[in-house]
Amino acid sequence: MLPFELFIALKYITARKRQTALAMGAVGLAVAISCIFVALQNGFESFLIEIVVKNIAHITVSPKDGDMYLHLYRTLVERAWELPGLVAVSPSLTAGAILAHDDNVENVALSGVIPWEADEISGLGENFIQGEFNSVLGGRRVVMGKALADKLDVKMGDTLEASYPDSRTLNLVLSGIYHTGYAQVDEGMAFVSLETAQRFVDEGDVVSSVGIKMVDIYEAPRAAEEIEAMGYNAKSWQELYPNILEVLAFQKAQNKINLLLLLVIAAFGIANVMNMLVLEKTRQIGMLMAMGARPASIWRIFILESGILGLAGGVGGSILGAAVSLYLGGIEMGPPGQSITLYFIINPMDIITFNLAAILLAIVAGLFAARKASRLDPVEALRG
Amino acid sequence: MSKLIELRDLRKVYGDGVEVIALNGVTFTIDEGEFLSIVGPSGSGKSTLLNMLGLLDSPTSGSIILRGVDVTTASHSERARLRNKELGFVFQYHHLLPEFSALENVMMPLLIAGKRDKAARERARQLLEEVGLGDRMDHRPTELSGGQNQRVAIARALANHPAIVIGDELTGNLDTKSSEMIYETLRELNRSMDQTFILVTHDMDMAEKTDRILRIVDGKLVCEMRRVGGEFTSKDICQMRE
Repeated sequence: MLPFELFIALKYITARKRQTALAMGAVGLAVAISCIFVALQNGFESFLIEIVVKNIAHITVSPKDGDMYLHLYRTLVERAWELPGLVAVSPSLTAGAILAHDDNVENVALSGVIPWEADEISGLGENFIQGEFNSVLGGRRVVMGKALADKLDVKMGDTLEASYPDSRTLNLVLSGIYHTGYAQVDEGMAFVSLETAQRFVDEGDVVSSVGIKMVDIYEAPRAAEEIEAMGYNAKSWQELYPNILEVLAFQKAQNKINLLLLLVIAAFGIANVMNMLVLEKTRQIGMLMAMGARPASIWRIFILESGILGLAGGVGGSILGAAVSLYLGGIEMGPPGQSITLYFIINPMDIITFNLAAILLAIVAGLFAARKASRLDPVEALRG
Repeated sequence: MSKLIELRDLRKVYGDGVEVIALNGVTFTIDEGEFLSIVGPSGSGKSTLLNMLGLLDSPTSGSIILRGVDVTTASHSERARLRNKELGFVFQYHHLLPEFSALENVMMPLLIAGKRDKAARERARQLLEEVGLGDRMDHRPTELSGGQNQRVAIARALANHPAIVIGDELTGNLDTKSSEMIYETLRELNRSMDQTFILVTHDMDMAEKTDRILRIVDGKLVCEMRRVGGEFTSKDICQMRE
C-alpha cells in the first residue's frame, strides 16, 4: 500500500503533465549532456593512454641504486612470469656505442634484446622495411633505423664496427632496417641480440633493464609492487609518466565540476515547478491539513515529488545520454581521409553518480517549497 | 444526550498593535446528534468560532472540551490527529483535490489516518452511495456539478466517522435547488446516523431548517433559538434577520 504522501505526489506528477515534462526535461537534458560528456572524456582518456602506453613497457625493472646492471635477471624473468596477466617480459642490455662504417661515425645507444619479447612491447617488428627483427639472433648482426643507416651510409649486408671505451670492439653485419617515425629510435638506436650486447659490454650475463607488458595496464602498479617486494627496483608506467595521469585527472575533475553546475541549473527548473505547485495548491494544502495531514506529511509530499522528478529525469537522461553516446560512437566525423571515430566509454559508475546527484539536487530544490508548504497555517491556506 | 463539545468563555484576540477582538467570551455546549447552525453578519466572528470548533486555530483564552477532554492546548500533532478522527469539514469551496477522482478524494482522510487502501476504497464507495453519487465515483471534480462536488465533500467529511461535521457556508455557491438537495442529504445523515452537524452560514433560510440557531454579533453569542416541535423558541427576544 502506498502511503498517502506518495499517492498524492505521484498523482501531482502524472496529472500535471506540462509541469512534469518541464522539470523532468531540464534534469533529463542535464543528465544526458553529463553522460555524453563524461563518456567522451572517458573515451579520450583511454585513447590517449592507449597511445601513450602502446609502445612502452608497463613496468620497467631497473638496477638497484648504485648498480649499473641487473645481475640475476634470469630469476627475475622466471618469477615475473608467475605473475598473472603478463604479455611479455623483455630483458635488455643497453649501452653507449660508437658505430663506424668507412669514414662515417655515429654515437648510438646499442640495445641487446630478445627480439620477440622486445617486439611484444615496442612493436618494432612491424616497422621493418628491410630484413627483420629476429635476424639479430644470427650472431653478430645489427638492425637500425633508416635514418641512421643513411647517415652511416650502410646497406644490408655491410659490416660496421661497434666500439666504446671499456667495451669490446665488435664487427656487426647490418641485417635489418626499420622506420618508426620516432627520431630517437630511428637515428639514435641500434638493436642486437642480448648475447651480442653482453659480449660487447663484457660484464657477463647481465642486463640493464627488464621491461614487462601486461594485459591490463591498470594492473601495472600492483604488479610493480609485487616485483619490488621480490627485491627489485620496479616502476609502473603510471609512476614513470605521472604527468599524463595528472593532466587527465585535472581535466576530469574540471569536467565534473562543470557538469555538476549544469545539474544545479537544471535543479532550478524543479525548484521553480515545485514553488509554482505550492502557490497553486495552497488551498488544497490547507484542506489536507484540515483533514489531519501533519506538516511533516505535507513536507514529505513535496520532497517525494521533487525526488521522483529528479529520479525520473535522471533515468530518462541517462538513457538518452547512453543512446546518443552509442550513436555518435559509431559514426565517422571530419573531412574524408582525416576522418575520426569518436571514442565513447560509458562507465556505469558515472551514470550512477549523475543520477544520485540529480536526485539529491532535486530534493534540495524541493526543500524550499516543501518547507513553505509544511509551514502554511491551515486557516490562512484555506482562505487562499 | 451526551455533551460532545463544550466552549467555555472563549476569547480570541488578533493583531499586534491594533487589537481586534474576534471572539469575546463565547460559551455554549453542543450535544451528540445536534443539527445546529451558527449565524451572524460578516465580521461577527463566525469564521473564528468555526476555526476554534474545528481545532484549526487556538483561542487566546477560555477552553474547548471535546468529549470531556480539554483540547485547548493540545499540540499541533494532536490537533491534526483529532481533526482527522473527530472532525469533518465542508467549506464553501469544496476544496476537493482536482487531480483525484471523487472516490480518491473521499478516501483521503482514511489514507491520512493510515487505513489500508482496500478498506478506504470500500468505505469511500459506501459513503458516495449514501450521498447519491454511486455512479459518479470515478469522475474528477471538474466533471461534476457544484452540488455534486459539495456532496463529495460531505462524503469526505464523514469518512472517519467524525464526532462533528462542520459546514462553512457550504451552500453559499449553490443554486436553491442544489442547496435544498444538500440540506436533504445532511438532514438524512443526521437522522439515520445521528451525525452532528454545525453549519456556519448567513443564509437564514438554511439556518431555519436546522434544530438550533446560535447568533453571533461582534464576537458575542447574542441569541440562541431551539426548535420545539415545528417552532423556534428563544429565551430572549432575538432579532435573527439582519
